[in-house]
Amino acid sequence: MAQDNLNRDQATARIRAAVTQDLLSGRISLLLGWQKGLFWWRSRPLFARSQQDLERLVWDSFCAVNLSRYLPEELSIEERVGILVKGCDARAFHRLLQDRMLDRERVLLYGLPCPGMLDYRLLAEAGVKEAEQMLEEGEELVIQTGGGEERRPRTDFLLEKCRLCPHPDPVVYDQLLLPPGEPWMDPASRFQDLEARERPTPAERYAYWSGELQRCLSCYACRQVCPACSCRECFAEQQEPRWLGKGAGLNENMLFHIIRVYHGAGRCIECGECQRACPVGIPLLELSRRLAKDIEELYGPYEAGMDPEAPPPLLTYRPEDPAAFPEK
Amino acid sequence: MIRYIQESRLEELFRILSRRGPLYLPLAEGPSLSFRPWSEGAPVDLKTVNSTVSAKEIFLPREEAYFCYRRAGRELALEPLEQEAANAVAFGLRACDLRGLEMLDRVFKDQDPPDGLYLRRREQTAIVALACAEPAPYCFCSLFGIDPARAGGADLQAWWHGEGLCLKALTAAGEELLSSAGELLHEGPAGAEEPPRVETGNFGLKLEGLPAGLRERFDDPVWEELYRSCLGCGACTYICPTCYCFDLEDFGHQEKGERYRCWDSCMFREFTLMAGGHNPRPTRKERVRNRFLHKLQYYPERYGEIACTGCGRCLRSCPVDLNIVQVIRALGGESR
Repeated sequence: MAQDNLNRDQATARIRAAVTQDLLSGRISLLLGWQKGLFWWRSRPLFARSQQDLERLVWDSFCAVNLSRYLPEELSIEERVGILVKGCDARAFHRLLQDRMLDRERVLLYGLPCPGMLDYRLLAEAGVKEAEQMLEEGEELVIQTGGGEERRPRTDFLLEKCRLCPHPDPVVYDQLLLPPGEPWMDPASRFQDLEARERPTPAERYAYWSGELQRCLSCYACRQVCPACSCRECFAEQQEPRWLGKGAGLNENMLFHIIRVYHGAGRCIECGECQRACPVGIPLLELSRRLAKDIEELYGPYEAGMDPEAPPPLLTYRPEDPAAFPEK
Repeated sequence: MIRYIQESRLEELFRILSRRGPLYLPLAEGPSLSFRPWSEGAPVDLKTVNSTVSAKEIFLPREEAYFCYRRAGRELALEPLEQEAANAVAFGLRACDLRGLEMLDRVFKDQDPPDGLYLRRREQTAIVALACAEPAPYCFCSLFGIDPARAGGADLQAWWHGEGLCLKALTAAGEELLSSAGELLHEGPAGAEEPPRVETGNFGLKLEGLPAGLRERFDDPVWEELYRSCLGCGACTYICPTCYCFDLEDFGHQEKGERYRCWDSCMFREFTLMAGGHNPRPTRKERVRNRFLHKLQYYPERYGEIACTGCGRCLRSCPVDLNIVQVIRALGGESR
């Protein structure tokens, strides 16, 4: 996480300098990055086509949006697209590449080792209301509240998707713009928290997920933001045949989420954008990670989006694969 | 006359009010907050501003059935459904929720004929408004002339004072709610005759020129930029207090089933998809433009008021931070 002792402004300046050159020389026609949003704790996607646009570019602790999701559509308009990639954006890029959703040659990847993005909800709970009350010093956060100064580990305030991320450094890039960092989560122990929260019986699982999924609004933010949801027409919106009613009842919600998550089994890169995007805070990342854990237990270690040449376990067959059909 | 109840005794008040019919309160569901029928021990949150999903769902539920049908041979029987909304109380609505309701009223209630389902819920629900003690960073209702401490159209206005709630009846229905609570309520404390004034920020927006100037902006290049980051989900429309689009569907089979309506969103591709495959709003650009022009031009042209209450829900919940403040700014509605 120690970023060459560059502060974020210096890092932003370095990134801006690198991409400006490529945009002005015509090497890329569009740069996908982040710009400041409405609040200091939000950064939103930036679609930069000019030097003027690039003046708005930022790299701060709130660049959570996974940008790779925008690539397929932008590549249908633009000749060559440059994109800033964190760890999760890079794995999402691999996901799309493996699903043949984009042309590698027409994308220029600028790698950004990610320190993990901060969650405003957690900051607000700790009493941070203004940006000035929060100072980032390496792996610590210095918080100024009425009660005085408090030093806390930065990891206490990460979005859940970032706290659980074992690969904050991009796994693919053409150019790495900042020095690599130290991961804070060991890939081998990434499911430990799930084991601690096992719900052993089907009845317990059903009760828990019914409780969570009954508030689903069917807004499909989880699907729209997902780099593994690549169907041109989702089964949920198909009219002929009609698989899913439009109502917001538990039955419909459960059917949608089960199919969504199974469709991502072994393909989901665990970027957690589904959970971050959910307006009603359903713990969708846990659902995806439970399946990823099952896949590992059944087919051996596999992390989607790490290696585009390694086929997802459910898209391949080996004679030694378990054939776990129950015997009557 | 101002009445007063200790916060610690609110549960008793809820018990009394829920005897009449469903009592809707903002209930925590994980990190989310929605108006739901109260039951004993439910996690009520009357402090957080604002609920994640707007209070519109009390009157325009996510899903609501019209009737059941049953068929035997050549006979088709329609069966009405149980009237669950009778004598309901909606407790804890904010001033912006009530402004949103005014906007829905023009669409569903003040029409000839009115919408039966909406009308029934509206007429049978007494509303207890709750003043905001402190606006959230997302709030900008003052821009629309809303006073967060004084809600229009409520039966009862409540506001926090010390360790409890002051209650002031505004209508006969409000008086009736107060008298039903009986001895649970005390006389209001001296110096608490009115809720304290609260004002929100406005993000430096000005509304002059909207909607008149928008007629010429339909083909403005600004839409080309604005839509790009939109993911095309329906989160903004479902949490919004002034979005009211719905769809009709049948659930069941040939012999038996029900016809219901449920929320729908103009942000979805199939919302305008015609039989035969034509889509008049083929891309997210047309859909984003439609949603915001509906708020800023179409609704005001028809009903005389911008269809935004400044509740801040789209500011808080859009996964890519595309919201109405950004759009108004991009259209030039900024005073700075």
